[in-house]
Amino acid sequence: MKRLTFMLTALLCLNGAAFAAIDWESKGMQMVGEIVANPSAFFYDFQQDLEGTTPLPPGKSFSVQTGLFPTLIPMGYTNLSGKYRLHAEGRLAPGVPQVDLIGGYWDMIWAKMAAKQSDTVDSAKFNGYYVGAIVSASVSPRIRTFWGYKHSALAANLKFNEGKEPELLGTKVNSFESGFKDDFLIAGIETPKGINKFWSMQLNYGVRTQTFSTKLSWYGKFFELGLNIYPEGVLVVHPVWNFHVNF
Amino acid sequence: MGISFWNKKKFFTGLLLAAFTLTPLPSTLYAAVAEDSKIFTPYFDMTLMEAAFMPSQGNIFSGGNINTQVGLLTRITQKDSLFGLYNFNYAGPAFQPQDSKQFTDRSMSHGFNFEYRRNLNEKFRVRPGVSFLTDYSRTGANEAWKNGLYNMNSYGGQLAVDYNFSFERNGFVTAAVIARKIKFPNYTDLLTEFQTAGNTSETGGGLQDQTLTQFSLRPNWNGFFGGFTYTLQGYKNQVVVNDTGVYGDTRQKDKTTTLDAGFRQKLWIFELSPMLSYTLHRSNQNFVRYKFLGATPTGGSLLAGDSDVTFVEGNYDYNEMTLSIPMDLNITGKWAVGGSINVTRRLYTQRGARDSDNNYTDTRQKNVMSTLTGSIRKRMNDVATMRLFYSLMVASSNNKFEKYMPYNYTGNTLGVAYQLSY
Repeated sequence: MKRLTFMLTALLCLNGAAFAAIDWESKGMQMVGEIVANPSAFFYDFQQDLEGTTPLPPGKSFSVQTGLFPTLIPMGYTNLSGKYRLHAEGRLAPGVPQVDLIGGYWDMIWAKMAAKQSDTVDSAKFNGYYVGAIVSASVSPRIRTFWGYKHSALAANLKFNEGKEPELLGTKVNSFESGFKDDFLIAGIETPKGINKFWSMQLNYGVRTQTFSTKLSWYGKFFELGLNIYPEGVLVVHPVWNFHVNF
Repeated sequence: MGISFWNKKKFFTGLLLAAFTLTPLPSTLYAAVAEDSKIFTPYFDMTLMEAAFMPSQGNIFSGGNINTQVGLLTRITQKDSLFGLYNFNYAGPAFQPQDSKQFTDRSMSHGFNFEYRRNLNEKFRVRPGVSFLTDYSRTGANEAWKNGLYNMNSYGGQLAVDYNFSFERNGFVTAAVIARKIKFPNYTDLLTEFQTAGNTSETGGGLQDQTLTQFSLRPNWNGFFGGFTYTLQGYKNQVVVNDTGVYGDTRQKDKTTTLDAGFRQKLWIFELSPMLSYTLHRSNQNFVRYKFLGATPTGGSLLAGDSDVTFVEGNYDYNEMTLSIPMDLNITGKWAVGGSINVTRRLYTQRGARDSDNNYTDTRQKNVMSTLTGSIRKRMNDVATMRLFYSLMVASSNNKFEKYMPYNYTGNTLGVAYQLSY
């Protein structure tokens, strides 16, 4: 016990020394470098924030959804997603799972405005879409597991006017043309938090690019709050706020 | 030069032992089989951890772990069942024990296990099975996953026998043998390629390809558990370096023996799950330390330790003790405060510690890594929990040569973890 006390005391004493000065400038440069190296991956993480990849609540036939944060604000992704239930769980026969079709589209309004009004930007195209299907089955009265597939695509193209190119890390950037396309497998689990309130956790895995993410979501009648984790992304944690209406 | 080889060796050992000894099939399914009358029993477990790491050396970084297990148990007859399990695992940047990986190294794996279960009688059950694993690795250079130097594929079989000696107290003993063939398709000897610039192809030749055989005996009773595990790694092509400083004809062989014990108990409002393990790792591989790139033998012989090129016999042999004491104090039905102490102490039996100038000293190298964690846990419902935690980690070693890897540092970790398990 005495040794344990000494060890704990020593650990607490060392606590102060453990904090090195954080070099925010170098961290920022590292992040900018990662975005420049692979811009489409950076913008695709935000697309995943607006993608509706949870199943429709039991009893609902279709839904519309739009991402509010960080997609519409501040990224300027004007977006619309939808879900349509092809089959309700157990309707055809007992045990046959629910099947939903999912899809959506977004276009960055800032890019359009910049191309029209800015002297620096010559042309800008930032948009993307996704389509897929989600299969969900109840494994107990309080648990639904869901499985899915989605095809996601994104274009991120930007060209600057000659003589107006910005400098990033000491290098002039003339333009970048970047795209992203992959087929994803989805696995998740959902549990109710109250009447018309759910909590879910899911994994999205891109089979070609090996891009992966985890989504934690709390959703009710109109809003979804999420915490999306992109372990290999520039911004690892995205807090998410989406609006939806289910019919 | 020597450093890079030494890091690789430790990397492989750690990777393989972690991949094949620490990922058992979910034990909860054992109890589920006897009681469950359903034909299909699904299994789903998802754990997510994300944290910020602040080391005393270097800059702040973030990292996390994702583990997803999806399984299905299918009962064919009263005595026969099939079990399939898919496991996705991602281990992100994090503080690492000394002599293992860089903070920025990551790995991602897909594992598939298929098991046939047959109840021979009331007490005995056999479980033959097959496994496939693909593991991707990535360094701080952010290379594409498919190009990782240490990417690994493995496949193999297992045979396990369970003897149930107490149904009331969930008492059983499991004896198992597993065999794996392991390949590193991207591995190449970068040093040899560098030295022979005229080469047009890789020169590794499957240097790390190997077979792994493991025997284990694990008793469980009333929340108490223990085990003996013996692992043998036989390298297909890697040969042992001799005291002349050149490779001989003997193939490399590593043997690892582990004894562990612990329990999981709930007493009043306390949940306690301490665990103690002791590992003996022995390898016939040796090591030649080049003090700097281009070093040549100076002074005494290669064995004297004062030459710029020094031969170290049994460089990789070590004894390691790990103690882990996690505890939760359930304040209410939903909330708990927790704490945990983890200590890992590794003592090399032959390798000397080095001073800051990369000279060997007379004492054997000893690494200690201690972690103190405090946490708050919220049980969201029957299947989901969330934990907010802070850890203070202290790594210390009598090895002061830290040009490539840190040995003496402290670090703070602040993170959040979620788990959903059904």
